[in-house]
Amino acid sequence: MRYSILFFIVALIATVMITGCTQQQPAAGSGEEIKIGVIASLTGPASNVGKNMWQSAQVAADEINAAGGVAIGPSGKKIPVKLIVGDDESTQQGGQKAATKLITDDKVDILVGGYSSAVTSAYQQTIAEYQIPYIVTGASSPVITHRTDIDTSYVFHHCPTTDTYGKYTTMFIDQVVRPAVNKKLGAPDNRPFRLAIIYQDTAYGKGVQTAVQNTIAKNNLNIILVSEQGYRMGESDFRTPLTAIKAENPDAVYLGAFPNEGAPIITQARRDIGLDSIFLNVENNDNAQFYKDLGQYGEGAIIESRFSPYTAPEGVLAAAQENFKNSYFAKWGMYPDMMGASTYEGIFIAAEAIKNAGTTDKAAVRQALVDLSMPQVIEAMKDGKISFTSDFRESQFDLWMEQLVYDQSIGECRPHIVWPDNLKVTTFTLPDWYKPGSA
Amino acid sequence: MVDIGILLQILFWGIYAGCIYILLATGLNLIFGVMKIVNFAHGEFLMIGAYITATVFIISGINPYVIILVSMLALIGIGAVVERLCFRPILGTSKLNEIFLSIGLIYIFQNGAAMVWGDEWQSVKSPYEGIAIPLGPLNLPLDYIIIMIVTAAILAALFLFLQKTRIGREMRATSQNRKGAMLVGINVERMDILSFGIGCALAAAAGTLWVVSGQVFNPYMGSIPAVKAFAIIILGGLGSIPGAIVGGLLYGIAENGAAYFLGGVWKDAISFIILIIVLVFRPTGLFGESGE
Repeated sequence: MRYSILFFIVALIATVMITGCTQQQPAAGSGEEIKIGVIASLTGPASNVGKNMWQSAQVAADEINAAGGVAIGPSGKKIPVKLIVGDDESTQQGGQKAATKLITDDKVDILVGGYSSAVTSAYQQTIAEYQIPYIVTGASSPVITHRTDIDTSYVFHHCPTTDTYGKYTTMFIDQVVRPAVNKKLGAPDNRPFRLAIIYQDTAYGKGVQTAVQNTIAKNNLNIILVSEQGYRMGESDFRTPLTAIKAENPDAVYLGAFPNEGAPIITQARRDIGLDSIFLNVENNDNAQFYKDLGQYGEGAIIESRFSPYTAPEGVLAAAQENFKNSYFAKWGMYPDMMGASTYEGIFIAAEAIKNAGTTDKAAVRQALVDLSMPQVIEAMKDGKISFTSDFRESQFDLWMEQLVYDQSIGECRPHIVWPDNLKVTTFTLPDWYKPGSA
Repeated sequence: MVDIGILLQILFWGIYAGCIYILLATGLNLIFGVMKIVNFAHGEFLMIGAYITATVFIISGINPYVIILVSMLALIGIGAVVERLCFRPILGTSKLNEIFLSIGLIYIFQNGAAMVWGDEWQSVKSPYEGIAIPLGPLNLPLDYIIIMIVTAAILAALFLFLQKTRIGREMRATSQNRKGAMLVGINVERMDILSFGIGCALAAAAGTLWVVSGQVFNPYMGSIPAVKAFAIIILGGLGSIPGAIVGGLLYGIAENGAAYFLGGVWKDAISFIILIIVLVFRPTGLFGESGE
């Protein structure tokens, strides 16, 4: 009798456990939750950006879940999303560990995130092996989806690439800065514009440099590169390369730099070298720390951008961006940056793709991403739609240019959009202290 | 044709960079001379010194060149504690212990600093920024001239201390022959703790000058300068303070010259190219004693 009771209890426990297990199976589209893995640099040198990406992803998930979750399948049953973070530790090995853990242990349905092209490309082999859809929202080298040594068909790039930055900035120089300098000098329109480049000697910095060279050559622009100075990543003393640039008398200087390098470059150029020029910066510099570090030396500088802590383009997106900044601030007590913005959108893109696929089956979700066409979320996209190009699976951003104006009352500069015409709020001007170059 | 004005300007930046190397390498060499230990965590003392100066400056607004004394005093204390707790117990054991201990200290200091001050890049502004002294074709910002004068003053004070004071002489005696020093009644353990403290204070001075020159800093800033400081003392001769001074200046100038003539990517490599060349011809370094 005692044994039969014992047997009964064991059988009951076993049944409960088996049923429990069955319910946890991620059966296509009928699971209890959609698991989204977020790869971000929570520790190491890139932790500043990484935390922002992870926190932005959580704001997006909160919003999706507040609306009940993602509607899947013909029944339209709403399933909540669950985020699981993987810390890449800002290193290639860390990235590999994080990706493997998210895929094999946590069994996520889709991945979002990834900062630093070097780190991200280190674990792409794992992505290819497990064929898991990955929306990259931080790494900016086009190599991420252009490389041919491994299968990148599951990787989707939702973040402008160095090609795009270089192209937009060079076109801006040609259309806006060059005529302004000619006007100041009273020079004819055929005067060649003297551009100098200072770049981080990595895939990122060289990507910017190459994009400028290609844009000039392809469009036959009247711009000559008078000095191209590389420096090692993490450098903090730029006085010698800047002295070399000043010796070539440039009209403007384009920086292929990270924010922790860009602010010292401009400060050292203006304060120590006396290089009173227009400094053009890549979009990832558009964060609060950059403005703080620059102080008054940022006056007149240009940042190419898509999301700024201090400005937004006129129109529908202004409210959407403001909304995101406020919800982020309410949750985290600070403001999001650009990589946070694209990661926030990345979560919505993942949810939309799974909704369209009607399942979490990875091949079906990949196809849904290929076919995706959803309205822009908070950042300006080409034609107002988020969709990935058929060749390299890159979404198409509409970038703008900001010019910094010094505000004495706060001791920092603030950006104003000056280009393109449909987004601008004010006109580009050369500061009084600006010294144009000469041959 | 290279403009002589540009060359002079680059020489000026080289001397400035050299000042920070000299202070770091001199401290490292003082410690090595007396204790014969290899401390890979020396760059972390530069980092702590930088943060102490920046913190005191932000809170009090006192002239950062005055805060250098606060930072140096604080690091004498921190250095003495580290020597007593970490290095003294393993003194005279295997070199491997020193190496792993100091590598461990790197992580402890970096993570500790990240916990206290955060791991984001920071910078402060010197009260003299924007003031420059024109000199012929050159435009010399006042801050860098002060940095060079401060470095020279600290080195002069160190020289006087080592040459003219009793403790300084005892320290040199310990450096030259530890057993002999013990035999004549010098408290060598006191010399250890003192030289470690002074070495750390010199690193703090280097960190302070780094900060006031407006360069960005974060908890991981010390690693590369520490590697360079090691290369400098090997180049100059282990235990030789004139060697550290000449080596530091040489590196500062060579790095900036390489950045100009060969490109920025050569900046770090040139130091080690010079080191290899010097070691081929003088295996004991420029000022090293052949018996060492």
